[in-house]
Amino acid sequence: MRPSFFHHLHPPTIPAIQARWRYTLGAGGLAVFLSLVLVVTGALEMFYYVPTPENAAASIQALTFLVPFGGLVRNLHYWAAQILVLVVLVHLLRVVFTGAYARPRRFNYLLGLFLLVICLFLDFTGYVLRWDEGIHWALVTGTNLVRSIPAIGPGLYSMLVGGSQPGAATLVRFYAWHIFGLTLVLILVGGWHLFRVRRDGGIAVPPPEARRDHQRITRFELVRREVLAALLAAVGLIVLALAQPAPLGHSIQAGISTVADGRAPWFFLWVQQLLRLGDPFLWGVLVPLGILAWLVIIAYLLPAARPQELGAWFPRGNRLAQLSVALIVLAILGLTLLSLLQARPA
Amino acid sequence: MLQRSSAEAISDGSGLRFRMKRLTVLASAALLLVLLAAAWIQYRQPSPVALTPALTGQVEYCLTCHGDLPEISKSHPVQTFGCVRCHGGERLALDADLAHSSMRGGANPADLSVVEASCGGSDCHSGAAVANRDHIQRVKTSIQATYAGAFAQILYTFGAQPDLNARYGVYAVQAYQNTNPRSLPYLLAFNPDQTTSPAIKAFLEKCQTCHITAEPMPGGQYQRYTGCSACHTPTANRDPQQLVHQLTTAMPYTQCNTCHNRGNYDLRSMQFQPRTEDPSDRLHDYYQPIAQFTRCEWTLDCVDCHTRQEAMGDGNLYGHKKDIQYIQCRTCHGTLDELPLTGKVESPDDLAMRLAFLNPVIDLKVGDTILVTQKGEPLWNTRQLPDGTYELFEKVTAKRFTFRPVKGTACLQKPDQQESRYCHECHVVQR
Repeated sequence: MRPSFFHHLHPPTIPAIQARWRYTLGAGGLAVFLSLVLVVTGALEMFYYVPTPENAAASIQALTFLVPFGGLVRNLHYWAAQILVLVVLVHLLRVVFTGAYARPRRFNYLLGLFLLVICLFLDFTGYVLRWDEGIHWALVTGTNLVRSIPAIGPGLYSMLVGGSQPGAATLVRFYAWHIFGLTLVLILVGGWHLFRVRRDGGIAVPPPEARRDHQRITRFELVRREVLAALLAAVGLIVLALAQPAPLGHSIQAGISTVADGRAPWFFLWVQQLLRLGDPFLWGVLVPLGILAWLVIIAYLLPAARPQELGAWFPRGNRLAQLSVALIVLAILGLTLLSLLQARPA
Repeated sequence: MLQRSSAEAISDGSGLRFRMKRLTVLASAALLLVLLAAAWIQYRQPSPVALTPALTGQVEYCLTCHGDLPEISKSHPVQTFGCVRCHGGERLALDADLAHSSMRGGANPADLSVVEASCGGSDCHSGAAVANRDHIQRVKTSIQATYAGAFAQILYTFGAQPDLNARYGVYAVQAYQNTNPRSLPYLLAFNPDQTTSPAIKAFLEKCQTCHITAEPMPGGQYQRYTGCSACHTPTANRDPQQLVHQLTTAMPYTQCNTCHNRGNYDLRSMQFQPRTEDPSDRLHDYYQPIAQFTRCEWTLDCVDCHTRQEAMGDGNLYGHKKDIQYIQCRTCHGTLDELPLTGKVESPDDLAMRLAFLNPVIDLKVGDTILVTQKGEPLWNTRQLPDGTYELFEKVTAKRFTFRPVKGTACLQKPDQQESRYCHECHVVQR
């Protein structure tokens, strides 16, 4: 058969060892699929969502309850977003624990870290767009953390919030970031990331002289596998969306707070726990940035896996990097669990 | 054309391809299945019932689930008010928890903590006194809400204050009006920590269920809601599990009896002794066994005589119910020397006409002469007849009674003994 556009997006053949589920977990591809779902469902939601404080929560309620399949579209968007954050983290861990960030893939690894941050910001801005009681604490705290940065903080805060405190201007700006600013960056940098995968020789595996398995698969086979993965992911996503609706509360009413405890969104619960330790700038900004900086450092300053070790989990060469990342992940998981286990007041 | 090299074999095993194909077919079938499931779930949803009330112009969907509720009253039609204007709530949500999450006062938006948002407004029930729309301001300062009289009596009796002047109520409040020499400027909220007296502590524990901000004692005879609904939603002797969605100005005596005529207090033991007899008719149910009353006091309902100011206050803060309770037999029947006070209905916007419109037991017309009280409150369910007698229409049943003034009869009243207890000496009913 003559290869289609989608087939041409892939190399004519790739080594079979690059396409094994057990090696890559399919995480990168799944992230691309989920991003596509997000763009499509997000575009559909734009027909109904109104980015003003008076109407935001009500417009989401109208979409959820009164528009045919509106609830499904919203739930798909919500779950695709949360699963994407998890999948991107799994992809990062896979890359670290297989040493795949070694030369020449170090720059692509930086692009990936950048994409992780963009994803988290997309999830956070989307969360704020609900403009209901549940997001109130997160919005105030998150923007105040920005303000706590020395020297540039107040300026950044003004730019982000559009006023002296979160209000109508904030909602419009977060909406602009979410549907355009961050999405554009995601598409451009994501495209660059995918290009670099190909330019760097595809998914990290040992060089041909160090391989035992020399089998190759065609682009047709590769696309078939991707389609299968996409189908399975779609089924799982729809089942999740049907079984568990996205959260929704009543709109923020000035002067009245009906939640007794403020909660960060789940992916920032660990930051909420850190903030209990003391200075907000130190624990809320510097520590997370420090973790990001460490993730950069392990690629450039720590020993890397040797080329012949690639293509397998837990190579010897970058054990120090693996260990440090494992500790960081366990710490973040532990803080998140601590936050979840704390009893919510009635 | 693909270039094959001997060193690299292209994986094209037919077994693998068949497995992949089968998996793909299964996955596609599963996708189709879940999409059909999604469509099925969507079409099983109840179709939303929209209501756009005339007052707000904003569509509400409460009737999707609550369409079988009765209209709450003729003066609050749902087509005009909708549900959200009074109850709050999320008007667009069809999920019960979300829809009810921002409701005021739970199931009772008339609770005094939220009544201003629910029932208030200058065109509704917290408007100007001259327009007779200041109900909320008056109720919040009324003695049935503040419980100031009970506090004053107990605190004085047990030595916590030197006289019977009221200083405390169940909540802190400032007077809305100051038109009476006995009126107080404000009341403080009584703080339980400021007393060590066991009697006063017993009062705070056991005797706090009979003011309109308090939940009543358990039992069908005490069953009522709080706030405005304490009186205006008839609940007495109904199933407590069934919510009552009704507002009325024609309250039967049983509603007043959710607090009144329920028993007696014993100050020595700080106990409430509830009525224990099991009355079989209205005559024996109405008042407690110790009470004395005339015929009209048990055949009519409380609301047929007791006025709006007596029940809801006049905006002044009082420390004793006798400062606001003023209806006497003479109000309707007059004395040996004087006919009862009357007034003429001057315009269709008169308070009497509005009240008669709300509860049309009497076809009041402009130009009719009705009885009025010493304070000028209209007894709008009465009318003077051409032959000098009077007629009264019972507010709850629309039953008609006629009666004569005392003047010109063989009554043995003395001019300085006009309280009801003197009328009772001859006119008391024997049970």
